[in-house]
Amino acid sequence: MNTSTTLGVGTLPMSATQDVSGAGPVNIELTATQATVGSAQIPNAKMTVRNVNIFYGEKQAIYDVNVDIGKNQVIAMIGPSGCGKSTFLRSLNRMNDTIDSCRVEGDIRIDDENLYSPKLDVVELRARVGMVFQKPNPFPKSIYDNVAYGPKIHGLADTRVDLDEMVERSLRKAGLWDEVKDRLFQAGTGLSGGQQQRLCIARAIAVSPEVILMDEPCSALDPIATARIEELIEELSQNFTIAIVTHSMQQAARVSQRTAYFHLGRLIEVNPTEQVFTNPEHSLTESYITGRFG
Amino acid sequence: MSKTPQHLEKIQRSLVRRYRAEKAFRWCGMLAVTLGLTAVLVVFADIFMKGTGAFSATYIALDVTYDREVLGIENFADQRQVNTADWEALLKTALRKEFPDVRKRSEKRKLYALASNAAGYDIKDRLLANLRLLGETETIWILADDDIDAYYKSWLGGNAYTARLTDGQLGALQALIDTDRIQLHFNANFLSRGDSREPEQAGIKGAVVGSFMTLILTLVLSFPIGIAAAIYLEEFAPKNALTEFIEVNINNLAAVPSIIFGLLGLAIFINLFHIPRSIPIVGGLVLAVMTLPTVIITSRAAIKSVPPSIREASLGMGASRNQMVLHHVLPLALPGMLTGAIIGMARALGETAPLLMIGMVAFIVDIPRGFTDPATVLPVQIFLWADSPERAFIEKTSAAIMVLLGFLVTMNMSAVWLRKRLERRW
Amino acid sequence: MANMSFENHIVKQFDGELEEVRTRLMEMGGKVEKQLTNAIRSVVEIDSALAEQVIEQEKSVDEMELDIDEACILIIARRQPAATDLRLIMMVSKAVNDLERIGDEAKKIASHAIILAEQEGPAKGYTEVRHLGTGVVGILSNALDAFARFDVDAAMRTLNEDQQVDLDYQSALRELVTYMMEDPRSIGRVINILWVIRSLERVGDHAKNLCEQIVFVVKGKDIRHQSHIAQD
Repeated sequence: MNTSTTLGVGTLPMSATQDVSGAGPVNIELTATQATVGSAQIPNAKMTVRNVNIFYGEKQAIYDVNVDIGKNQVIAMIGPSGCGKSTFLRSLNRMNDTIDSCRVEGDIRIDDENLYSPKLDVVELRARVGMVFQKPNPFPKSIYDNVAYGPKIHGLADTRVDLDEMVERSLRKAGLWDEVKDRLFQAGTGLSGGQQQRLCIARAIAVSPEVILMDEPCSALDPIATARIEELIEELSQNFTIAIVTHSMQQAARVSQRTAYFHLGRLIEVNPTEQVFTNPEHSLTESYITGRFG
Repeated sequence: MSKTPQHLEKIQRSLVRRYRAEKAFRWCGMLAVTLGLTAVLVVFADIFMKGTGAFSATYIALDVTYDREVLGIENFADQRQVNTADWEALLKTALRKEFPDVRKRSEKRKLYALASNAAGYDIKDRLLANLRLLGETETIWILADDDIDAYYKSWLGGNAYTARLTDGQLGALQALIDTDRIQLHFNANFLSRGDSREPEQAGIKGAVVGSFMTLILTLVLSFPIGIAAAIYLEEFAPKNALTEFIEVNINNLAAVPSIIFGLLGLAIFINLFHIPRSIPIVGGLVLAVMTLPTVIITSRAAIKSVPPSIREASLGMGASRNQMVLHHVLPLALPGMLTGAIIGMARALGETAPLLMIGMVAFIVDIPRGFTDPATVLPVQIFLWADSPERAFIEKTSAAIMVLLGFLVTMNMSAVWLRKRLERRW
Repeated sequence: MANMSFENHIVKQFDGELEEVRTRLMEMGGKVEKQLTNAIRSVVEIDSALAEQVIEQEKSVDEMELDIDEACILIIARRQPAATDLRLIMMVSKAVNDLERIGDEAKKIASHAIILAEQEGPAKGYTEVRHLGTGVVGILSNALDAFARFDVDAAMRTLNEDQQVDLDYQSALRELVTYMMEDPRSIGRVINILWVIRSLERVGDHAKNLCEQIVFVVKGKDIRHQSHIAQD
């Protein structure tokens, strides 16, 4: 069903470049110069990403990404498997450093400080940009020690009382306190999957980071546990800047204010979430979120 | 739909075939396991049957009179007099009294041969421990000679071995048996003495202590070095051609025959550094070098088995690499490393070949008191005894094997126990 | 743009379900169009039997509404549609409502046709009904065509046509008021005619809604309550 678009219904940025004829599977030539559509750059950004390319050895995983991450906002990154969204997320707190073959080019800043400048210490960076992983990965230690680990290694607590307080506050923020207050010194690995993930979130926020990165935090959880995490993300977004990679489009639609769509290492579209899920600008985004590939 | 019954029939037919194959396979497996177990059991039973004899020894009851005249000691405070005194004379007197019929000199000598030539020292120790016995007469159990021991044990078994005894000795023994003055007692000597040319006096303690010292040294050297090397290679070393080369060579070293390590020890530790031969230090060094590759390989496997999620979690929390390793990776890998080390130790405990090259095969009577005393180790002791002509050494050899096996089993069990105990779930 | 394909989902049943909903909406549209034409004919040709038939048929239109609505709810619950799919489902769900209302108006017109057939008096106002009726039916069928082809241009043209219907409605009103002033005996009849053209005007509005929703599906832009856009 292809009709020519001559009508001026508002200003539609979709121009002839994306005009795909025929109703066959979406097949759009990606060129290196193709720019991200939508509003990738916003005022009041916590982190800015400019012209970022990421390589694994010879293989390029991320092509020329430009995007802002808004302060106290949730930005969701979606896209088919292998589109590079996790790689991109991990470059935001330099977790990619642990992979020898990985190379990041471009400019990533947090509050105008360059992440990859030699002046910035990676340990300090990770205290400012925390991370929650796909699989709940509490340390095989007690619940208390899990949460206290960050403050301990960064020397945040002066006294035992301080530390106790930090642990309690973090567990409360993660909505876990009431469930575990009577067994703080039992193993964190004895908790249910959802509780473990909230423990990991408590562990991440114990060092009061500014940004929290979440790499598919609910993919190993059941729907109820997922709902609790989503609720938590919503609460946390009042005080923290959150970037979340998710495979669940519904989840992205529920928790985020902005959504970024990645495809084959390119950032195709960034727009307010409500727009992406009702009326995406790019036809690739459209095809992905309507379940036509991915 | 008419196809369905045929279909089912086919499936059923194939099921029969499949179950038959499965059953056959299971039988094969069980047969293999049974064969293996039987072989092990036969060997164990053989060793056990031969070896238990060594834990008991034949003793003869004699009325010994502690006669100062016979001893010829005037002053017991004089060490020289005490040491040069003829302690065996007390025994001989007691034997003559027991068998007054024996007159001929040659027969007398045979009579004296009933007792072990160490029995005099036992009497000496006994008297010196309690000088009030002087002049008294008491019945004590005297260790019999190894030939008597062999005869008596075989006689008890119903098939007396008389080849090395004279008629006179047999008659005397019969008299002792009749009066119940010959008995089997627990052989404390076997566990408390060093090696000896006389089988009835030969003990395993020297070898056990030697093995223990050597192994302590091996553990102290190879465990920390092995773990440090494993951690460095696994967590810190850059992945380049050099580390690749090192890795390949560590794997190769683990497969090098142990005797090569003996030669290496001989060339380097003894010839180059002039460490005296036959001492636990050099044995420990050689065995440490030999077990190092094993420890490194098992430790690396243990480190590799620590889930990457834990590393990511700690790095994501802002831990440095060092903190990540010390706080998270090492505690999780330690049980695996320990089991690896213990299994390496167990291998070192059973090793003979490299020690032959560095002189730990010597005949050493004294129990080593330190790392610089000449020593031998259990497997070498077994090798030496197995080589000895005396019939009584057969049971000593088997008993020594039992002790060695006991140690090996204990070490392996402790490895399992440690792993169970320390292993944490995640 | 307007790559309005509802196919090529990874889940093939989803394609089928969307197609099914669309087809049924078209069917319902056809049915309603028929009802409206018949209702107008029953007025103009004073055919009570036809009017009875229209009233009778209205029930089946209601049933179709319920059916399609249920199908939409099922799709939302099962497939969580997004973007165009979501817009299509929302549009269908609303369009079905508009179509049902048009069906209601057709029924009202038919019942007035029966009353008119029984009433004595001069046959005034039929011309206006015919004229307005033709216009409204035209809009409705254009709207349905636009939906069938997801033709935004046609939908926009139809939106503009509705303004003509409004003008026609205004002049018909004036005409009828004149009749009543001229001949007070005709007031009873003319009031019934008034109801009929009032219904026709409502049908025009519903048809307009349909067009707006087509634009929403294709463009993702909500142009309701934005009269200025129509003038672009």
